[in-house]
Amino acid sequence: MNNILEVTGLTKSYNNFSLNNITFSIPGGCIAGFIGNNGAGKTTTLRTILGLAGRTSGNISFFGLDMDKNESQVKNRLGIVLEDGGFYEDLTLGEMKNLVSSAYNSWSEKDYKRYMDMFSLNPAQKTGTLSKGMRMKYALTLALSHKAEMLVMDEPSNGLDPLTRSQLIDTLADYMDNGGKGVLFSTHITSDLDKIADMLIMIDNGNIIFQEDKDTLLDTYRIAKGDTSSLNSQTYGLFLKISKNEFGFTGITKHAEKVKHYIPDAIIERPSVEDIMLANIKGGDNNVI
Amino acid sequence: MLFNLVKKDFIISKKYVYFMFFAAAAMPPYIYLRMPEYKGTPGFILSAVFTVLMLIQNVSLKEYQYPKAAMLLCTAPFPRKIIVLSKYIFCIAVYTFCCIVFAIETLFIPAFGGLDIKLLLIMFFVISVFIGIYLPIQYKFGYEKTRLAILGIIMFSPVITPVMLKTAKTTPVVIPYIPPLLIYSTLFLSSIIILLISAYISVYFYKKTDIA
Repeated sequence: MNNILEVTGLTKSYNNFSLNNITFSIPGGCIAGFIGNNGAGKTTTLRTILGLAGRTSGNISFFGLDMDKNESQVKNRLGIVLEDGGFYEDLTLGEMKNLVSSAYNSWSEKDYKRYMDMFSLNPAQKTGTLSKGMRMKYALTLALSHKAEMLVMDEPSNGLDPLTRSQLIDTLADYMDNGGKGVLFSTHITSDLDKIADMLIMIDNGNIIFQEDKDTLLDTYRIAKGDTSSLNSQTYGLFLKISKNEFGFTGITKHAEKVKHYIPDAIIERPSVEDIMLANIKGGDNNVI
Repeated sequence: MLFNLVKKDFIISKKYVYFMFFAAAAMPPYIYLRMPEYKGTPGFILSAVFTVLMLIQNVSLKEYQYPKAAMLLCTAPFPRKIIVLSKYIFCIAVYTFCCIVFAIETLFIPAFGGLDIKLLLIMFFVISVFIGIYLPIQYKFGYEKTRLAILGIIMFSPVITPVMLKTAKTTPVVIPYIPPLLIYSTLFLSSIIILLISAYISVYFYKKTDIA
């Protein structure tokens, strides 16, 4: 399927941080998780591709359209969910909707009312009085009420309780089942991506570490647990990261077969997305033996 | 789109809008009571300048308090040009309100005389110069730095205003010898040109701004 988002050679510099040659793409029909720890560059990348911040170089295209030349057309086709919503706290939900809806060509009052009812939101309530979970639901309502073809979400699950996070995931699945072409979902809480993501893009310190199909990624890495005495100069190199304690070691590897060969007693387990993310973050606490 | 952005500015500073609109209505009669020799004109000048200044300041404060709201607007298909223009329309709408209130007051307070179109146009020019300078500076340097500059102007205004009024009284004026229509149209056109140039500069600055 054609790519709905292509980012090529994106660079942007601040005094103490830079995005370096960010390149990734999202094919249609895909929920992509954009992962990385706090300060890795997720929000800066999203802000830059959405035209909120300038860039030093690079090209961005949504649905095959160059973002610079077709900004209004592209933004009409995107649904955006920002962390904490991004509302004027003195406005009621109804007033905020009147403001946002006036920007979109294909605003659907029917969809808006359906989501307001689904999430039990009161249009007369002020946005400033919404709880964290309700803010996310309202942001999602605004993003889904104008026939958006793609959702871009910046840390939507941050600070949400498990039930609300589960509702978010169900809503995304429903959105994809009903004609959504794709979702880009930035988060550092990776447990949600275990359930719903098709693809993972990882950023660390302003650099893309990998872009991979989630299942392929989960098949590539393995967690190995064993006795510390079985570690030697030969086996150390098989692991991306190792942590040790009095009961033994736990390491993450891309070479499960070799680990089995050299450490036959090792227990091999399937990793989570979080394990893979932590293994690929440079400068963590556990990468030095 | 533009209407909704202007409406949003009124709503986010709703409480302040009510207060300032009351102040705008009360200022000309109050100053007339205190200084009957000025017959309403200084009251209108003060009400127009302070109402526009205080309300645009309050709207800017609210925008400063909710920076993510600007992000949401800019991720929606609101062109930044329209977002900037809404601030100019807001100021003009506030000034128009002050004019309407003063026009009504001239009907009920005979000492104010009739409504002087020249006064309204001069004040429109003054307001245009003010927002023509204020808004581009704010889009360039942000709310905090601009607020400090405005505070400085307000602090010095009690010193400057009497001097300006005295100078205006003693300076020979050639305006009465120029055809009124020429004065009105020149003032109005100058105001529009100032606003257009200022809006162009503000849009230029805002387009270059990283929305955080």
